[in-house]
Amino acid sequence: MDSTSTPSAAQPGSQTVPSQLQFTGNGKEYFGIWIVNILLTLLTLGIYSAWATVRNKQYFYGHTVLDGHRFDYLATPLQILKGRLLAVGLFVIYSVVSGYFPLVGVLMALALVLLVPWMINQGLKFSMRMTRYRNIRFAFKGNFGDAMINFVVLPFFSILTLYLAMPWVLKRIDAYIHSNILYGDKPVHVQLQGKAYYKAALLVAVLGILMMMMLGVAFSLVADININPGELGAVNSGMFLIVPLYLFVISALQGIYQAQIRNHILNNAQIEDVAEFKSNLAPQRYALILATNAAAIVLTAGLAFPWAKVRKVRALAEATQVVVLPGADQVLDTAQQADSSFAEEAANVFDVDISLT
Amino acid sequence: MIPGYFYQPGSSRVQECTARHSGDSIAIYADDECLCESSVETLQVSAHLPGQASELTFSDGARFVPLDTGYRWPFQRRKSALLARLESNLVLIAGALVATPVLLYALLFKLVPGIAVTAVQTMPDVVVEQMGQQSMTLIERTALSPSELSAEQQQAVRDLWQDTLAQLDLSVDKYRIDVYRSDHFGANAFALPHGQVVVTDELALLLAEQPDALRAILLHEIGHVERMHSIRLASQAAVASIAIAILLGDMDIVAEVVLGSGSALMDLQFSQNMEWEADNYALAQLARLGYSGEDFAQALESLVSLDEDEEHSWLKYLSTHPSLQERIEHARTYTLSP
Repeated sequence: MDSTSTPSAAQPGSQTVPSQLQFTGNGKEYFGIWIVNILLTLLTLGIYSAWATVRNKQYFYGHTVLDGHRFDYLATPLQILKGRLLAVGLFVIYSVVSGYFPLVGVLMALALVLLVPWMINQGLKFSMRMTRYRNIRFAFKGNFGDAMINFVVLPFFSILTLYLAMPWVLKRIDAYIHSNILYGDKPVHVQLQGKAYYKAALLVAVLGILMMMMLGVAFSLVADININPGELGAVNSGMFLIVPLYLFVISALQGIYQAQIRNHILNNAQIEDVAEFKSNLAPQRYALILATNAAAIVLTAGLAFPWAKVRKVRALAEATQVVVLPGADQVLDTAQQADSSFAEEAANVFDVDISLT
Repeated sequence: MIPGYFYQPGSSRVQECTARHSGDSIAIYADDECLCESSVETLQVSAHLPGQASELTFSDGARFVPLDTGYRWPFQRRKSALLARLESNLVLIAGALVATPVLLYALLFKLVPGIAVTAVQTMPDVVVEQMGQQSMTLIERTALSPSELSAEQQQAVRDLWQDTLAQLDLSVDKYRIDVYRSDHFGANAFALPHGQVVVTDELALLLAEQPDALRAILLHEIGHVERMHSIRLASQAAVASIAIAILLGDMDIVAEVVLGSGSALMDLQFSQNMEWEADNYALAQLARLGYSGEDFAQALESLVSLDEDEEHSWLKYLSTHPSLQERIEHARTYTLSP
């Protein structure tokens, strides 16, 4: 038998000691990558964006270290470029048609509804397949029918319930995504509960209403002082104040919701025989991080973006532990068909949200 | 002797090992057992990234990752290090900080509108016609209902329209006018790209006693059609959204909001410029036909008085239009320049 070197899996009985997920990148390094990526992207009229994407992801995956081993991002720039060109081509046709022929545009939007589940599945397949940990790639095995139900039919149905069913739908979506992920030949199991989603949604709704009321009062006070009839400048300066505040509040609420949901998912997920997860992300701390990130980005006209992103990723890693189970050394990389990046890029360009974070 | 991890092909098994580099071959040893040996030629070396060790991938898929995250192989090609050097070059970073806003401005405010204008000039008439008709169908379904004005009131608007067209020598086939009731638009008039102009009941009533003022408004709308403003807006929106889709490879939501508000400001500026263009068209034609810019000023003033009652429509109007006061002053001081 091979002598494994990983600290937690090496000695029998030590598997109950969780390994801390680490993020080893830093904002200074990433700033250089980020700004040079942007510069080269602009100079090449967007072509370099494919290389930029790969470098970005390689930086963040490679600096995410578990148990002494880093994650790898495997897609090549040319794959991304081809996918992106196809997706942008489709988007050009779509935006030209809907701009000049609004009625045909409406029909195309309907057709897009049928494409969305396919794009989501292919996108997830591509992202998972391009992620590797210890020579084993992840995979995604969702099917069109389930994706259609979870991403299109049920969200539509929840509108009819005045969104009261939405937390349940979100639970279904998360369950669909996570329970269809494979690590090599090992499936991921999740046991999610609607209760957790309703709790998070209710908290965010109550906090959201409170904060908007406070903002409303604050804004009307400011507006009362400033507005002279016929002077439009006052309205504008009010707008400059209200937009960052709005972003700040929205980011904070997002943080509170995401932290609770992330904890719930990770604490109830495991990769069969391979790993169990622990997430103890404090909602108020994460809310503060996201909100101050948003404020910093707006106040520095975007320059704080690398710092903010590194800070967020580090907070997520710090709150995550993984219990490596004895089976972790026996995972085999299953042969999978190669998916194109086209659908993933199309999903990005058309703004279909499939983020896993 | 470089310590590191050896990852076996297609499996999650990992071994602690050392790599021995001699001449043009690399051998991986765990204790004294040789796990793998290969010539440098057949190896793949990963890209240079700060803080990440350069890993070796063997032809069978096995990998060796040095423990030292700063380790770089002597045979690593210089080319792959170029990006890493650029990304940590302070002069380049400072240069990028200055160049990025300039480039963004040039792209979004010069290149994109330039492409859009070229696209407009080569636009076939069929497209213009279809765009106008389809937009009208959508607006009619969502925001308009049949006019509630009397037949005479409607006819008065039509007569004024025919009269104006005749004076301007414009095609009666292309240009048509319709009167609709609309709760959504309030007192308003708008033009569609193929030459259809819509006047709402409220506006027709408001200016029923001031046909000269109404004519000035109609001229403003004709100006939008003549200068192909709807088409330019659609082109600009299409080209801008494509440009942003290309530029935004992957960015966070907040970055999108920053860029998004930039493009919204851009739209706002375009449509403001278009209002000025249409105003100037109306004023030039008024002067040419022997009417006064005062007609247009009065039409706008009627709208101002209306605004005071209806804050709602006031906000809507503001969003894409320049300040009414400015426009009124401009109309009063307008002199026809060659």
